[in-house]
Parts: sequence; C-alpha cells; structure tokens
Amino acid sequence: MRIGVVRFPGTNCDADVFQMVENSSHEPVWLWHQDRFDVKSVDSVIIPGGFSYGDYLRCGALASRSAVMKSVSEFAEQGRPVLGICNGFQILCESGLLPGVLLRNESVKFIDDWVELSVENGNEYFAKKIPVKKRFCLPIAHGEGRYFAPPEELKKIQDKGQVWLSYVKNPNGSLKDIAGLMNEKKNVFGLMPHPERAMQSWMGGTDGGLFL
Amino acid sequence: MKEKLKHYRLNQKEYDKICEVLGRPPQGIEWALFSALWSEHCSYKSSKNHLRKFAYRNSSVVDGEGENAGVVDIGYGEKIAFKMESHNHPSFIEPFQGAATGVGGILRDIFTMGARPIALADYLCFGEPQAPRMKSLVKGVVSGISSYGNCVGVPTITGQTEFHSSYNNNILVNAMAVGLITEGQTMARSKAMGPGNWVVYVGAKTGKDGVHGASMASESFDENNDAKKPNVQIGDPFYEKLLIESCLEVLNENLVVAMQDMGAAGLTSSSFEMAARGEVGLDIQLDQVPLRDSSMNPEEILLSESQERMLLICEPSKFPRLQEVFHRWGLDAQKIGEVTKGPQIKLHWKNEILTDIDPRLIVDQAPRYDREFKVWPKSSQAKSENQSEIKKRKNKNLSEQLKLNSQSIELGSKNWIYRQYDQRVGVRTIKDASQAVGFLRMPSDRALAITLGCRPSVMRLDAWLGGLDAVFFPALQMAVKGATALAVTDCLNFGNPEKIEIMSEFVAAVEGIAEASKALDAPVVSGNVSFYNETQGQNITSTPSTGLIGIRHEVDNIPDDFFTQLGCAVYWVRCPFVTGFHSLKGNEKKDNYFTGAIDSGRCAEWIKSLAHLVSQSNIISSRAVGQGGLLETLRRMTLGGIGFEVQSSDLLNMDLTKATQECFYESIFAIEPSLKSKFEKKLQQLQPQSEVEFSLIGWTVPERFKWGTEVDISIDEIKMFHNNSWSQNLELK
Repeated sequence: MRIGVVRFPGTNCDADVFQMVENSSHEPVWLWHQDRFDVKSVDSVIIPGGFSYGDYLRCGALASRSAVMKSVSEFAEQGRPVLGICNGFQILCESGLLPGVLLRNESVKFIDDWVELSVENGNEYFAKKIPVKKRFCLPIAHGEGRYFAPPEELKKIQDKGQVWLSYVKNPNGSLKDIAGLMNEKKNVFGLMPHPERAMQSWMGGTDGGLFL
Repeated sequence: MKEKLKHYRLNQKEYDKICEVLGRPPQGIEWALFSALWSEHCSYKSSKNHLRKFAYRNSSVVDGEGENAGVVDIGYGEKIAFKMESHNHPSFIEPFQGAATGVGGILRDIFTMGARPIALADYLCFGEPQAPRMKSLVKGVVSGISSYGNCVGVPTITGQTEFHSSYNNNILVNAMAVGLITEGQTMARSKAMGPGNWVVYVGAKTGKDGVHGASMASESFDENNDAKKPNVQIGDPFYEKLLIESCLEVLNENLVVAMQDMGAAGLTSSSFEMAARGEVGLDIQLDQVPLRDSSMNPEEILLSESQERMLLICEPSKFPRLQEVFHRWGLDAQKIGEVTKGPQIKLHWKNEILTDIDPRLIVDQAPRYDREFKVWPKSSQAKSENQSEIKKRKNKNLSEQLKLNSQSIELGSKNWIYRQYDQRVGVRTIKDASQAVGFLRMPSDRALAITLGCRPSVMRLDAWLGGLDAVFFPALQMAVKGATALAVTDCLNFGNPEKIEIMSEFVAAVEGIAEASKALDAPVVSGNVSFYNETQGQNITSTPSTGLIGIRHEVDNIPDDFFTQLGCAVYWVRCPFVTGFHSLKGNEKKDNYFTGAIDSGRCAEWIKSLAHLVSQSNIISSRAVGQGGLLETLRRMTLGGIGFEVQSSDLLNMDLTKATQECFYESIFAIEPSLKSKFEKKLQQLQPQSEVEFSLIGWTVPERFKWGTEVDISIDEIKMFHNNSWSQNLELK
C-alpha cells in the first residue's frame, strides 16, 4: 500500500509515522502542506501528530485551511481511508471531516501517559485487527484531547455508531470517554493516542501495529 | 564615569584593561561590546583557570575545541553532541519564559553542530514549598519546559528535582540537550572562513528582549528583580522547530561554511566568536538586521537576546539555494555582511562605521581572575562530628519511617512534573522518566543511556566529595542497568565567586568531577558555569550538576527500576572501595555526615566492571541505593506493584539508623532464582578483586512490603502515600 504522510510546519511525529509505515512493509510518501496531490496517487492518508503551525489560533485551525487538506477532503469524499493521529485528529475536526472539537484537557495540563483503550464500534478497514470490544494499550501525549460536541450532535454520533475508541479510564475529561472517532461513512478516523509509539516491545508495547 | 561603568557592569580595573588593549578609552558602541563579551557569562573570567582541569580526553572525543557542545564518537558511525546550560536568573524572574528559553537555547547549541536533538533532561532545584512564590515558580518552570520541549518535538526523558531552603530566593533551572549525528551527516563548525563569503542572518526578527541579559546573569539578585523583567527573552518553539529542520537541511546539502546560534549577548558574541575562531574579519551592516521594532539603535541590535536566531557563513554562489530552503520552511535568510581577510571586525550603521576592532582583542584578551580560594582538605573524615548524636537516636517504627518517606517532597512521586513532558516523540525512548536512567534506541540497535547527577545533600557535606559523587553516582546508576558511562557535561551553579568560601567549594568540586571522570575514562566534554547565584547575601548550595551519556550494547531486557516479577532473589551489592555513609536531613532532621575513605581509581574500575557484569546477566530489576538508604530504595522498587520480603538476619537485626543511611555505593538486584549461583559467581569476579561484599537479602512477593515483624505494609498503601505527596506538599493538582 502507498500511504501518504502529511507534513505541516510544526508537525513533529511526521518522521515517526513515516518510519512506522516503512517498517510495516508499506510505502510511505510525503505530502507537503502547500501542495495539492493527485488523489489516485495514494491508497490511504495519515495525518501525524505534533504542533502544526505552532498551534496558533487553535490546534489544527490553520492546518485545516491548507492546500493539502483540500486534496485530503477530496480523497475522503471518494470514501477512501484517512487516519488522523493526535494533532491529525484535531485537524480533521477543524476541517469538518469529523464532527466535534478537541478542547484543553480538564487538568489544563499536558498529559503524557499510557492508556487502555476499548473498541466501541467497528468498521471495515480495521475489522480484522481492531474488532468491537477489543482492549489494548497506547501512549497519549497531548494538551488538548478533551473531546466535545453539543448534545444533539453527540447523540447523532452515538446513534450512528461513530464512536470508535474509548478510554477505559478517562485521562482528560473527554465526553463519553471518547478517544477515537469515525465519520458517518466510516472512512475517516481520528484518535488522540499514538499508535506509532507502540510498535516494538522496547517501546513498551506493540499494539500500535493494529493500525497498519 | 562611575555611572557608565555601573550601567555596563564593568569595574575600574576592567576599564583600565580596555584602555590598555585599545590603546585609548572605549568609544560609543565599544562599551556595549566589552560589557557583553567580558561578562562572567560570556568570558568565564572567574572559572577559566580551573576549567583547565577538565582537559582529560580519550580517543572517542571528536575534536571540537571551543565549539558549542561536546561531541563523542560512540562507534558504528554515530556521534553524540550534548551539553547542559543554566537559565537560573531568568527563570526566577519569569519562570515560564525563563525555563522555556533555557530549553530553546540549549537545543540551538546542539543543532548548530549539525546534530538532530533527540532528548532533553532537566535538573531543577526549588526552595521549600512554603517559601514565597515557590508554588508558582514550580508550576511556571515545569509548564515552560513542557510547552517548549513538547512543541519542538524533543522528548524529555529524565531529570532530577531537588527542594531545599538555600534555593528559596534563587532557583536552579539547568537543561541538557542530546543530539545525534548519524553516519554520512555533516558536522557543522562555528569557525568563520573564506574572505568574500557572506554572513547570513536566519530566523526570528530581532527585538528589544534580553538586551543586557548576559551581564544581568553575571550579577547577584537584589530587591529590584521586577525591574529586570524586560531583560528576560521570549521564546517561540514553533520557530525553533522550523529552524531545526531547515538548518539540518542546509547542512546536509552542504550549503554552509559555518553556523552559530545567537545566544547570550546575541549577535555580538556569535559574530565575534565566529571571527576570532576562524581568525578572519567581518564587515557587518547592522542596518540590514531584520528588526521587530524599527526604533532599535545599534547597541540594542548588538545586545538583543531575541530567541530562535542563527548566524551562518555561506559561499555567495550557494546563497540562492540556501534561501530557497529557508523560504520553504517559512523562514527568511538575510545577508548582513561579508567575511574579510581581517583581522578587524567592522560594524556599519547606514553610512557610518561604528567600530573597527580586532575581535581577538576582546575575545582572547578577556580578563582572567585568579579568585582567592583555600586548598580543600580532601580527607573524607570531614563532618563526622554529628555521628555520635545520630547514633543516640532511638529506633523508630520502620513502618512510620516508610510512610514519612513516601509523603516527603524529596522522596515522594515527581510524576506531576514528568507527566507534563512528551517523553516519547521521536520514537527512540526505551526507558522514560519513570526510571532512574533514561534510555534511547540508537539506529545501530544499541541503547544510549542518559542520566543527571549531583546531589546537593552530598555537596552540603563536602564539596570535593560532592564533585566525585556528581560523576560516580550517575555512573553507578547506569552500571546497574548494564550501561557504561562514556562522557560528562556539567553545569556549575555556584554563589558569588568573589567570596573565598564559595570559590574554594568551586575549585574542590571541579577537582572532584575531574578526578572521577578521568578515573572512569569519561571525559568532561562540555559545560557551563553559573556564578552569582546569590540573593541579598545568601548563596545557594553549591550545585555542580552533571549530565552523563553511556552506552549499553543491547536494547532489550534493560533491568527495570521496579520489581516486576514474583519469586525473584534480591541481592544487596556493596562497592568495597568506599566506606562511609550519609543520611538525609529529611529523615534525620540533621545534617548529613560521612566517614571513611573513597578510593576513586578502584571505585571507578569496580563500577565499570559492574556495568559489564549486568550487561551479561539477566537481571530483572535493579537500582542504585540512593537517598534514604536501603529501606527507601527497596520501598521505591515496590512501586511497580510487586512486593518484597526481607529474609536475611543481617537486615532483620539492623537498626533503623543504618537502614535509612545511604552507603556509598550500594545497589539492589532482582534475579530469577535459577540464575542465582551463576550471578553470585560473577559478583565474586568483579574487578578489581577484593573481599566479596554482597548478600541475598530477600525475595519478591505479592502485594506486601515485609521487613521482619516491624514492617508489614500493603504496597497499595505505600503507593497511595507516594502519589499524594506532591499535591500535599505543593498543593498543585
């Protein structure tokens, strides 16, 4: 599989995700923030974490208005898979590709930790490796990971089975313990935890491998 | 004249020397140049004569005399650049920005060498929790480090945090950065070369922040600290991240002749040092410097310490490509001058020449002070007078002692700090800040060990011993994980060097560090001195913090700090070449003391031999015995969820005083029972050979910590006290 890895100024998990893709025997390609890309040139897109545009304005707000995100939107509209990790999740929300928003953690502090996750709803892309009810562990590292959506929107998200992953023990005050989300068509995914940081036993866990 | 000298923080003797060097009195802007470059911060005028004691080198040190950071060749084509630096004064005035820009500054010292920053570590000393402003200082410093390090994408993987009343009015914020240069990557130099080459300014625009910062840091605090706020710089980690990526890119494309960050004393020190090192001249157009505030005058431009700026030398033909790279990253590159045959540096402002001066006159002729000091009595019998007093104390309930330890700010959990740092970005982290030694995976599939040293409690006991310990203890911590210490950086935080007792401690500590590092064959390759950590006449505990790097040849199976497996045999191993112990004020409500002797040569050999042994044994858990002695170290090892039971008559009959004293240098190992005899045999063969000093003291058990009939406590309870200590002491949630 050819996997596009999006790079904004300030993205800092870009090389980590690139390496994860490579080590999983897929072919990573850089997608630069100022450039549109041919939607047929890649099979899936990952938006890595970090601090795109230094988190100016709001996390992900400036990135969502970049050229590359126009192509990502077209790509997603064709029903093809997009995965946003951490800041990537924030960008997907800011772009409107995912509903809701990620706010400052309840503790008003950055949190680095390992968390246990539970799969709430499945989807065809991750059906085999990440089935419903499965539990696994990944690291988190974010200051703004508290998921929020207005009540009617939240109800819609729940009714349509868009809640993908939830925290077993909520670290940041996220609504309904939400750690990961899907769009209605279930081809756009966002999660706060970092799969690329749990790919080898020396990293402290290997559950990140479930995502590739 | 008196006013002028005071404004530029120069004394009469220095003024006389300036006149002698120039052959005339200084004029106009020259005042500012001398003020900055002859400040303690830039010139090391009080310490240089003693820093020569760190001259020891071995074949792994990459020649880089006078460069921004030390570089060590760790084999397999990999080199490590690392350095530690203080940002004490700014952090006390404005904790968030002070700490943040401390991190930014030390990172620039690393990538200016062409190394990609891969880890940060912080050595922090705070005052007592109830001291004025202390809670907000702790909060500000930690969030400053967190916001900068996390955003720039460099993990903070280890650190040390101390609390003591001597830091009530002068906290310490020391940051270490570690960078990696892989095979085929270009190492950068800071020597300006090639007349006709261009001087290029890159990064953030110059503003009025930090003007006179270097000379401020070279002065003691008085009650007017608030007036110094404008001297503190403001950092932007987003800009720094762009600078890292773009600078490494232009270096790897071979577009740069030399590179230097603009740190203390900004453009002045970077340009003068680059020219002096390269023995060339520079013609600089100060009116070409990109400004944030167009009203700035030449003196402010020269002395501004605005952050995230670099000075580059490049060949004119390569400038277009260089500019293209920086533009791609959203940064500007501006030509501000040219390299000349020299030796003069000419500073131009519009059509006027402000100065025309030989940089070597300022850089190389900087004053050197042989500050007065007393020769240190290097006998380890010092301070033993308290011993009898402590011996008289009655045995207290051990369980009580355990709870007291857990609840204390010194020994309780520091997770509140580390949870705010991204410890895993870059995906190299093997062991994070929850462990005594941080480990990063190298591309060659080996583990790089990083740890900090210097225990202020030992420094308060004896400065020479404290200096030795600042290297030996972290080296022992690495050894119990199977890693060998390779090199040292230091950050020497002291009070006023014009006071003989402070200068004496400085010299003694430097000699201690030099002796230990030579004995371990781990040279001191870089460092920083911070004097004048004095507020209204009160000096801090002399604190020569250190940072060590080491290597372990295997990435897997690094022993954990905590007991992780049931039924393991637990050994207590003692270094036979040190006899002596000290107790903590926290436990004993008294000062420390030490008796006995330390044989540093044999001690070092033993530590190295231990590292080798551990790397060859399947140790499950290990820990160097630290503050609070055996009892406390075993308590900490149970925090992972597996308990411990003492089964050794030596320990069961030991009195509390001994169980809570730390002996130099002990360690604890947990190993599977089937490997017991093999392990014991290896312990007997440790070099240099001596009488065997180890014993099997007990076993790992479920859920409880048991020490004879006196202690039987649930580890959940220990954990609860441990985890609550921070919020109880500091009221920070």
